[in-house]
Amino acid sequence: MSPPGGRRLVVTRGVFAIEDQELLLPDPIALDTSFVVEALLTTQPLHGVCSALFNRIGESDATVVTSDLLALELAESAFAITLKERWGGRWRGHRTDGRSRRPVTQRLNHTVTRYEALLSSVTHLPIPVRRIITEARVLMSDYGLASYDAAHAAGAIAAGAKAMITLDTGFALLPASLLTVYTDRSRLASCRKKRPRGQR
Amino acid sequence: MASMAKAQSNGKIKRLSSEELAELLVPAVCKTPAEKRAAIKRATTGLRANVRVTRDMYRPR
Repeated sequence: MSPPGGRRLVVTRGVFAIEDQELLLPDPIALDTSFVVEALLTTQPLHGVCSALFNRIGESDATVVTSDLLALELAESAFAITLKERWGGRWRGHRTDGRSRRPVTQRLNHTVTRYEALLSSVTHLPIPVRRIITEARVLMSDYGLASYDAAHAAGAIAAGAKAMITLDTGFALLPASLLTVYTDRSRLASCRKKRPRGQR
Repeated sequence: MASMAKAQSNGKIKRLSSEELAELLVPAVCKTPAEKRAAIKRATTGLRANVRVTRDMYRPR
């Protein structure tokens, strides 16, 4: 397809918008925590886009790859939300506050229940962190990924996923040949800018 | 560990074998499109937060 007349050809650098209704869904496809948080929480700004995309994934019968870390990070987000709702900017100082236990547990259970419902709709390939520790270290040393991003990315690549759906620009530090990044429109430019030069 | 995928020095990552992947695979519980849609609807409705969730709330840099 040729670009519209007079406009510069957009170099995608292996970064595509999840808002695009024609977006191809490879099988398997990897999910990052940022995408799942957005799909589960109705109050997040990209909830509509992310839940709609998850519906497309369910319809496509693609296998979903996640790192084991995802479930743990979801639990952490539930914990943090509850504390932040109660304590605002001082929430980190109240982590061990006993008064938070009950609401934290309640929110955590609601989050886990919904995550399990989401996973029940797809074939799921959870990649244990212990299987990809060496690979994650390589991604950190070769491309500068942060450790948790590296664990998610290494799991996706080891499982044969061609794309990662994420709202986090850190995955764009990898060359496009290793992992295509599916993200929202507002992050396209920064992801493309982060892609390593000289590698496709 | 023999079953672990080995990293290569050029940054390319060796994939897990098909046997390893088969061992990890969890089939979908929902079988029909209607069941899938219902499960996704259950998952993606009703969970709210009075704060905006940001990356630093679940993942260290």
